Amino acid sequence: MLRLWPLRQAVSAAGLRLMPVACNKSTAAQPAPELVEVFVNDKQVFVEPGTTVLQACAAAGVEIPRFCYHDRLSIAGNCRMCLVEVERSPKPVASCAMPVMKGMKVKTDSPMTKKAREGVMEFLLMNHPLDCPICDQGGECDLQDQSMNFGSDRSRFTDNAFAGKRAVEDKNVGPLIKTIMTRCIHCTRCIRFASEVAGVEDLGTTGRGNEMQVGTYVEKMFKSELSGNIIDLCPVGALTSKPYAFTTRPWETRKIESIDVMDALGSNIVVSMRTNEVMRILPRMNEEVNEEWISDKTRFAYDGLKRQRLTTPFVKNQDGQLVQCDWETAFMAIVQRLGSVEGNQIGAVAGGLVDAEALTALKDLLNRLGCENLCTEESFPMDGAGTDLRSNYLLNSTIAGVEEADVLLLVGTNPRFEAPVFNARIRKSWIHNDLRVALLGAPVDLTYEYDHLGDSTAELQELASGSHPFSKVLQSAKRPMVVVGSSALQRSDGAALLSTVSTLANGLHTKSGADKEWRVLNVLQRVASQAAALDLGYKAGVSAILETKPQVLYLLGADEGAVDREDLPEDAFIIYQGHHGDLGAQMADVILPGAAYTEKDGTYVNTEGRAQLTRQAVTPPGMARNDWKIIRALSELLGTTLPFDKLQGLRQRMGEISPTLVRVGRAEQANFFQQAVKAEKSGGVVLSKDPLIPPQQTLKDFYMTDSISRASPTMAKCVQAATEAETAKY
Amino acid sequence: MARYIEKVTRFYKIIKENGGIMGSVRQLFWTDELKTGTLVGVDEDGNKYYQNNMYFMGRSRWVQYSPKYGFDYDGSQVPPEWHRWLSYISDEPPTVAKLPKRPWMAKHTENPSGTPDEYVPYSTTRPKIEAWQPPVQK
Repeated sequence: MLRLWPLRQAVSAAGLRLMPVACNKSTAAQPAPELVEVFVNDKQVFVEPGTTVLQACAAAGVEIPRFCYHDRLSIAGNCRMCLVEVERSPKPVASCAMPVMKGMKVKTDSPMTKKAREGVMEFLLMNHPLDCPICDQGGECDLQDQSMNFGSDRSRFTDNAFAGKRAVEDKNVGPLIKTIMTRCIHCTRCIRFASEVAGVEDLGTTGRGNEMQVGTYVEKMFKSELSGNIIDLCPVGALTSKPYAFTTRPWETRKIESIDVMDALGSNIVVSMRTNEVMRILPRMNEEVNEEWISDKTRFAYDGLKRQRLTTPFVKNQDGQLVQCDWETAFMAIVQRLGSVEGNQIGAVAGGLVDAEALTALKDLLNRLGCENLCTEESFPMDGAGTDLRSNYLLNSTIAGVEEADVLLLVGTNPRFEAPVFNARIRKSWIHNDLRVALLGAPVDLTYEYDHLGDSTAELQELASGSHPFSKVLQSAKRPMVVVGSSALQRSDGAALLSTVSTLANGLHTKSGADKEWRVLNVLQRVASQAAALDLGYKAGVSAILETKPQVLYLLGADEGAVDREDLPEDAFIIYQGHHGDLGAQMADVILPGAAYTEKDGTYVNTEGRAQLTRQAVTPPGMARNDWKIIRALSELLGTTLPFDKLQGLRQRMGEISPTLVRVGRAEQANFFQQAVKAEKSGGVVLSKDPLIPPQQTLKDFYMTDSISRASPTMAKCVQAATEAETAKY
Repeated sequence: MARYIEKVTRFYKIIKENGGIMGSVRQLFWTDELKTGTLVGVDEDGNKYYQNNMYFMGRSRWVQYSPKYGFDYDGSQVPPEWHRWLSYISDEPPTVAKLPKRPWMAKHTENPSGTPDEYVPYSTTRPKIEAWQPPVQK
C-alpha cells in the first residue's frame, strides 16, 4: 500500500524491522548474525543475511515499486514490478524474492531497471481497464501512482483485432466486498491474506496466463471476520468496499486518527470524514495492538453511527410517553428526582462503549451525592482480590506477547469473534513460531489447529492439579500463556473459575522457569470500556444494583439489558445517557443524548491495559453533547459542581485516580499474581458442571454485539449473509 | 445677504415642521435627516409621503414611516402604489391618479425575511442522521 510507505521507511530506518514475518522468530536472545554488505546505487548498507534485495533497498532509502509484495504476507514474486538490475546478473531480478548476497551491487535507476519497469507496467495496463474516473480506488491506487512514477509516457497497445480488452466476470463474495475483477492485476495479495492471516482458504486462482482469475471457485461468501482487510491490500480497484462505493474520493476526506471500540482490543483506526459525516474507517498501523488489520465490525459498523441516534433529550410525560425536550427540562426532571433521594438509593450502570472521561465524571458526581453503587454492565468475579488487583482482569502478556509464547491455553473463549485481530496474532504465532494452542470450551473454528481439551470445568481442575494429559505439555513450556474469556467469568461460578485459572497460571509460571517479566494469566475482555471502568473502581456486574434496588438508576450507555425495569422498585426513575436508542433508552424516564466514539476525545483502555485516545472526527448530532460535559453540567444543577471544566482538568483527575489512564499508548504491566491467588483461596464458590460455551460461536454471532453495530444496516446484511452461508452447499 | 437670510429662515422652518428642538433631535436620531416638504398623502399603515422639488430628483420624494414601526422601518413597508410614486415610476401620487383596485389583489405585507414568519423551503434531501423515535405507549 503506497500510502504507508513513509511509515515503513521510518520503521526500516529505526533498525531494519522490515523482516518478512517468516523470519520474525521469537525475540529470545540470539547471537547477532554477521551482517551482509550490499551496495544500492553505490551506497553501502549492511543488512542481515536472508534479507531480500527489496528490503535492503528500503534500508538504503530507495523505494522499489511493487504490487504483489507485502511485508506481512508471504512472498509471491509474481507481479514483476520490483525488477532491478543487479551487477553481473544477465537479467533483471525480482527484488522482493531475491535474498541479498555478499557484495551485491543493486542499481535501482539504471536504464535496464527503468526499461524493465516500463515493460511490466505496459503489460499490466494492457489488461487493465481505463476506468479510473469511476473507480473507487482512484486517488489511492498503487497502479495509478506507480504508472505515473515508473511507467512509460505512451502506450503501444492497439486493439488491432477489435477484440476488446480482457474482461472478467465480477464475483459476489458477500455484502462487504465489491469485486470488479476486470481490474485485477493478479498480485494474489488477497489470496495470501485469506490463507495466511485470516485462515480462510476461500480464495484462489483458476486458469493461467492471460486467463488467470482470482475468485472463490464457486460463488460463495468470503466467510471471514477480517475480510475487509483485503480491500486495503488490493493495490488496484478490484476489491473495494461495498458500503463505501461511490461515496467519496480520498482527497476530499479529512483523516482523523482514532481508536476502535467495537471490541476490547482498541484497534488503531483512521476515521475518514467529509461534511460532518463518517465516510469510512481504515486501519492505522500499531505493531503492538493491531499491526495493520482491523475486524469487519470495526471497519463497516460506522453506518450504525447514523441510525437510531439520540439527537435530543427526552422526558417522559404524564402519559408515560417519551417526548422531546430541551436540555434544561431534562436536567430539571433529573434534579427534582435526584435531589429527593438518599445517596444509597442511587445506582449507576456503565455500558461497554463509554470513555474513561465520562466514567470518571459520573463516578465523581455520584460519589459526591453519597452513592457507591456504580457498576459495569459486563460482569466479572468480585470475590477474593477481584478487581482490586489490576493483573486479575487484564491481558497481562499483551497482544504482541503472544508471539513470544510457546504454549497457549484458551479457556472458555472464542478469540476469533471476541477479538479477531488478537486471533490473527495467535494464528501468526501458530504459523511462524510453532505456537501450540489448546482450547478448553466449546469446540469452535479458530482458523488454526488446536488441542481440544474438552468443554467442562472438570478438565480445568485436572489441568490445575496437573493430572490432565495436556499438563505435561503445559509444564514443559518455556513461555506458557493462559487466556480466559471474560464471558466465561460471568457465570455463577466465575470466581472459582478465575481462581482455578490463576492457580494454574501461577503454577505454570514457576514450573516454566520463565523470567519474572513473563505473564501467564490473561483475561480477554470483550467490551472497550471494561478495563477503564475497573481501573476507576467501578464494581463489575450489576449484582449490587439488583440487591439494593435503587430508586434512581443512571444508565451510562448500558444497552445490554443487564438491569430491567422489573428488577427495580415500581416508581424507580431511570436516566439513560448514551448515543443510541437501544434497550437502555426504551426503559428510561429521561434520556440525555451523548456522543459516540467518533464524536469525542475520549480515553479507552484496551484489554491489555493500554490507554489510547479517540479523536473527535465529527460533531455529535443535533443537541447531543460530549458525555462528560453532560455530567459536568448536571453536577452544577445538583449543587455539587465537579471541580473540572476542561478536558485537561478531567484528565488530571483521571491521573489522580489511576496514572495508567493518562499514560497514553503504553501498556503498564500489572503485578501481584501470587497475592491474587492467595486472596482467592478464601472464596468458597465451587465450579459448576456446566460446559464452557462462549457466546459467539459462529460468524453470524460476530457482527451485532453492541448498540452501534445493532443499528448498522451493513452489519444486518452480514448477519443475513452469514446465516444463509451456513446452509449453503459450499 | 438675502441668500443667508433664506437659509436661516429655512432652518427655522425645518425645526418648526419637525416639532421644535426636541422633535427635531428625535427625528434626527430616528431617520438621520431633517427635511421640509409638503405632505402628499398617507397610506393605510400611517406612512406619510412628502415631496419637495427643491431637493434634486431622487431625494425629492420621501416617506416618513409610521411611528408604530419604531426603529424597525423597512423599505418593504411601503405599499406598491406608493412605491410606484416614490420611485418616480409615475408622476402622480396614488391619491391623485387612483389605481384600479381588483378583487384578486392581495393586501400588501412587508417582507418577513429574518423574522420567525419567514419562508423556508423544506429540505428534499434525506437527513444524514436518522434520529431514534421512542416507541409509542399504548
